Amino acid sequence: MDEREIRLQRSRRRLFLKTAIGTGIGLSLVSAFYVGASLRPKAEVTPEKEPLKPGDILVYAQGGGEPKPIRPEELKPGDPFVLAYPMDPKTKVVKSGEAKNTVLVVRYNPAELSPEVAQNGVEGIVAYSAVCTHLGCIVSQWVADKKAGLCPCHGGIYDFARGAQVIAGPPPRPVPQLPLKAEEGVLVAAGEFLGEVGVKAEAGFCRHV
Amino acid sequence: MYKWLDERLDLTGLYQKVLRKAFPVHHSFFLGEITLFAFIVLVLTGIFLTLNFEPSIREVKLPDGRTVPAAYASVLYIDSLPFGAVIRSLHHWSAHVMIAAAFLHMLRILLSGAYKKPRELNYLVGLALLGLAVVTAFTGYALPYDNYAVTATRIGYGIAASIPWVGGAIAEVMFGGEFPGSDRSIPRLYSLHVLWLPLLLMALIGVHMAIMMKQKHTQPRYAERVAPGKILGVPMYPQQMVMMGILFALYVGVMTFIAGAFLAHPIEAFGPPTPNTPAVKPDWYFLWIYGILQLIPSSWEFHLFGATIGPEFIGGVVIPGILALVGLLLPFVDTRKDKMRYMELPSEHPVRTSVILALLVFFLMTTLAGYKIEFQQQGSILGNNAVLWTLVLGGPLLTYLVSYTLLRIFYGKEKEKARQ
Repeated sequence: MDEREIRLQRSRRRLFLKTAIGTGIGLSLVSAFYVGASLRPKAEVTPEKEPLKPGDILVYAQGGGEPKPIRPEELKPGDPFVLAYPMDPKTKVVKSGEAKNTVLVVRYNPAELSPEVAQNGVEGIVAYSAVCTHLGCIVSQWVADKKAGLCPCHGGIYDFARGAQVIAGPPPRPVPQLPLKAEEGVLVAAGEFLGEVGVKAEAGFCRHV
Repeated sequence: MYKWLDERLDLTGLYQKVLRKAFPVHHSFFLGEITLFAFIVLVLTGIFLTLNFEPSIREVKLPDGRTVPAAYASVLYIDSLPFGAVIRSLHHWSAHVMIAAAFLHMLRILLSGAYKKPRELNYLVGLALLGLAVVTAFTGYALPYDNYAVTATRIGYGIAASIPWVGGAIAEVMFGGEFPGSDRSIPRLYSLHVLWLPLLLMALIGVHMAIMMKQKHTQPRYAERVAPGKILGVPMYPQQMVMMGILFALYVGVMTFIAGAFLAHPIEAFGPPTPNTPAVKPDWYFLWIYGILQLIPSSWEFHLFGATIGPEFIGGVVIPGILALVGLLLPFVDTRKDKMRYMELPSEHPVRTSVILALLVFFLMTTLAGYKIEFQQQGSILGNNAVLWTLVLGGPLLTYLVSYTLLRIFYGKEKEKARQ
């Protein structure tokens, strides 16, 4: 080590420079994290994204147009299920903005239903969440020979007469049932879903507004 | 003019140093170039698409009275422009070609052992590029916001969200909230797709090329016979440049023809998103994961420290992750002491070649499993889970055994002869 290096090491100018650079990098990292926190999305709940509530009227899921409530006599046993959204009975807002509100309604002969399923239905009409528990697709196809619903994404099949038991494919759980009642000739949700809707995912961390 | 520039920029020095660099010629070496050309075409067509695309799902009214998301409407508008549909189709097709060419390029590297010393680092960069290319393709998938795209992206969201502990956070940051539903999903996916990921790709492509130039391309085997110990090849300028120019022109010509003749992703036929899930199939490079997801039964669910490890995590993340890890570790397991100059012949390495063939059969068989629903609807025995499992596990094993035996029978003797 020659004299120059020793002097440099003792130099307070070097120390000052290093401290200044270190503090600068540190502060910019902190502020970068602060800015990076805005990556965390904000979830806004607008009226059409409200969750389903007991008392909501079930209307046909359709693109736009006047909402059409589902009447029990329009459904026949053996027919494919229909997809529906809940509608707030007071504000008449169809809550179609939240995929987890999608409901499927299907009619069986009351004798075909297992008793615990039938008690939450109306004259053989039962409703379930239509959100597949596998990866969140909408169960949308009817398997006529099994009288069951098929999720076309990965082939999960649910038997709605038996509590949406999974009879084929990868879904880990049945889709939860929605208790129904008939009021003024239309189908109405009589309660909340009887279980967790959709994929059982790790809790997100949206800021709810 | 040349003299004036040369005096200031030392063009002659540049010419002698860089442009006279020798590049070996072999038809399998064009795969990397095709990947690059596909990327260039993707960037150019992508820039055109951004000029008219509206990254938003606000509702707009079409002239025919339908109310559709703005992104969907803007893609309809792009399709109505002169050559708009062809350029969008070319963008879509080029994404397929880029991933296919990158994959084949990787196969060439694997089969010829070119990942060994000193090229381990560039091999890792290449793997990262392949992974990034697939992610970039996925983030572009939702942008037209038609029924098909939304359903396919929703599956991706479900897979991301299924990662234990951190899945929800990762999925929400990437998709800007819950998908579908959040208004911020499309702006965020759009920014990732047109800005962040392409910049990252460009930077890594630059690194990939720079390392290749610095380390020199591996020499084909015939070079050892023709001129042992010397670098054999054609100079970058003019011969290599001319070949690249011809190949690029050929690429653009053929792909534009294909794009025009077979319009990709007809969003008008798919329609805007509705609750009626269409029967979606992912693109071919995801089909094997899709097949695995259909094979794994729902009973494969464990609980660990408050997190759920479900079949979608096992099929969508763990199995591809294991394959990626094996790929990453390969150059550090299969090593050599001296620096590699010449490619290895697949026939000289029966184990490695057979494993690669077995992996290819694994990809094919899991892709076949992706058609399980169709097989079931036709009543084919391939709809049976046990049959598919047998194919997925037995196929690669059988391939390995047959390939290894054949390589030993046909090439084992030659090797012994060569030794004597």
